[in-house]
Amino acid sequence: MQTLELLKNAAEFSVKGPLQSIKFSIGGLDVTISESIVVQWLVIIILAVVFFILGRNLKLKPTSRRQMAAEYIVGFFRNMVNDTMGVKYKKYTVYIGALFCMSLVSSLMGLLGLRAPTSDLSVVATWGVITFILTQRNKVKTGGVKGFFKGFIEPMPFMLPFNIIGEIANPVSQSLRHFANILAGSVVGGLVYFALGQVAGGLASIGVPAILSLYFDLFSSFIQAYIFCTLTMAYVSMAECD
Amino acid sequence: MDNLSQAIVLGASAIGAGLAMIAGLGPGIGEGICGSKAVEAIGRQPEASGAITRTMIIGDALAETTGLYSLVIALLLMFANPFIGQL
Repeated sequence: MQTLELLKNAAEFSVKGPLQSIKFSIGGLDVTISESIVVQWLVIIILAVVFFILGRNLKLKPTSRRQMAAEYIVGFFRNMVNDTMGVKYKKYTVYIGALFCMSLVSSLMGLLGLRAPTSDLSVVATWGVITFILTQRNKVKTGGVKGFFKGFIEPMPFMLPFNIIGEIANPVSQSLRHFANILAGSVVGGLVYFALGQVAGGLASIGVPAILSLYFDLFSSFIQAYIFCTLTMAYVSMAECD
Repeated sequence: MDNLSQAIVLGASAIGAGLAMIAGLGPGIGEGICGSKAVEAIGRQPEASGAITRTMIIGDALAETTGLYSLVIALLLMFANPFIGQL
C-alpha cells in the first residue's frame, strides 16, 4: 500500500532544464541569460576571490600555509601538463588550470543546492568547442596549412570522411560525457532525496544523502574535471603534425 | 482516440527508456575488465600504482561514455519526450 503511494507521488518527480527568465535582444540578436550563466558568474567570483587571496604577498621561501597551498595547486597543474603534453606545451598550464577549476567548482555548486552549470550541455559544449579550436590551431601551427589538409587524407585518401567524422566526434563525446555524468548525478540524487522524503515521515532524509553526495557530487565532479582536462591535453598534443 | 494514441506513445516511450538502459551492461563489463587489469598491474608493480590508477580512471571514464549516451536517451524519453508533440 505504501509502495503504491510512493509510486503515485513519484509521477510528480521531473527534471527541468535551467531557468531562462531574463531574455532581451541586442541589435536583433536574441540573448538569454539562463540560470547556468548566473551560477557561472558566482563561480567566477568565488575563484577570483580565492586565487586573489592565495596569490597575495608571496615570498621566495614559503613560510605561510596559504603560500604552500598556492604552490601545491600550481605544481599540480604544472605536473599534469608536463606529464601528458610534454614540457614544450608549458604555456597550456594556464588554460588547463582555469578549465579544471571552473569545471570542478561548477560541478560542486550542486552541493549548495544550486543547479550545477555543468549539467547544462551548452556550458560544457562551449569548452568542447574551445578544445576543438585549440586542436585545429595546433595542427596548423605545427604542420602549416598544407600539413593541416594533408592530415585528413592520411593514411589513405579514402579515409577522408572518417577523419572528418573523427575530428568532430571528439568534442561531441567529450562534452556529452561531462554533461551526462553530472546530470546523471543530479537526477539520481534528486530521485533518492525524493524517495527518502517519502519513507519514515522524512526522517530518512537526515544523514543518508551525505553518503550519496560523497560519490555523486565530490568524486564524480573531481573525476570529470580531471578527465575533461586530460582529454583536452591529449587531443591538443596528439594533433601535432610531423 | 487521441487519448489512446497518447497512451501508446507514453507506454512505448517508457519501454524504450528501459531498453535504452540495457546499454549499461557494456560499460559495466568494460570497467570491470579495466579494474581487474589495474589490480593485476599494481600487484605486479606496486611502485607504479599512482600512474596505473590515473590511467585506469581515464579508461573507466572512456568506457563509461556509451552508457551515458544511453542514459541521455532514456532521460530524453522520460522527461523531454519528443514524440508526444508529434501526435
